[in-house]
Amino acid sequence: MDPLSSIPMGLGASLRAGGMLPPLAEPQNLRQSSPIEIAPSNPEIALPGVGKAGSGRSFDNVLGELVKDVNAKQLEAGSQVRAMLAGEEIPLHRVMIANEEASVSFQLMVEVRNKLLEAYQELMRMQI
Amino acid sequence: MINALSGVDSAAMAMTAERMRMDVVSQNIANAHVTRGVDGTPYRRQQVVFESFLKEASQGKGGAETPLGVRVARIDQDQRPPRMVYNPAHPDANPATGMVGMPNVDMHSEMVDMITSSRAFEANLMVVKTARTLAMQTLGIGKR
Repeated sequence: MDPLSSIPMGLGASLRAGGMLPPLAEPQNLRQSSPIEIAPSNPEIALPGVGKAGSGRSFDNVLGELVKDVNAKQLEAGSQVRAMLAGEEIPLHRVMIANEEASVSFQLMVEVRNKLLEAYQELMRMQI
Repeated sequence: MINALSGVDSAAMAMTAERMRMDVVSQNIANAHVTRGVDGTPYRRQQVVFESFLKEASQGKGGAETPLGVRVARIDQDQRPPRMVYNPAHPDANPATGMVGMPNVDMHSEMVDMITSSRAFEANLMVVKTARTLAMQTLGIGKR
């Protein structure tokens, strides 16, 4: 079974391309340089658009937008609470729903991050 | 923008509308004994009229797919005549007949309206709650 099949497409592609796993991608590099230098000397790590091959947007763009969205929701929920406490005409249920939305999308972001980390660790544990 | 709780928008609009209905019921009950409204005649019962409308078309793909929202179309006056009560001592009584025009507010139907409104609000709260539960359970897919 493909261990990457459960990961979102962009991430899977970028993992397969070897962008996030320098030692696996370039073993000869590992032998040539000292272990401490691996990360900085490997140009593929610094490359942000590794997963770009398929669509126009790279995976970290998508991730960045997700984080931005979640942040915007949190800020909006906060400003609504503040507006209501300041005595503005804003119905209570609007405030609570904004809070709920912020919390659910935050949970979504955490869940995505967990999946990402899990996939990375799974690959790092792989025996070669 | 991610839409974490879809369908909750309609519920929120319905809740706003139900709140307005509750406000109007409260106004009717508060004015149930007012013989001198803003225009000098007995207070007339108010009632809300809801209407549905399409939410911004930019959100959805097509006209048929955008969910319907609810809003208060207008607040109408109940056109039934005022209730006439014989009370010659009242300052607003007709000097010739001694009849006073009381508001056409029926306390029983106002109470029924209030219960209807609060139950409708609760139903919408339930929609929000269920949507949240479903979203959280969906996020739990694949948890070990």
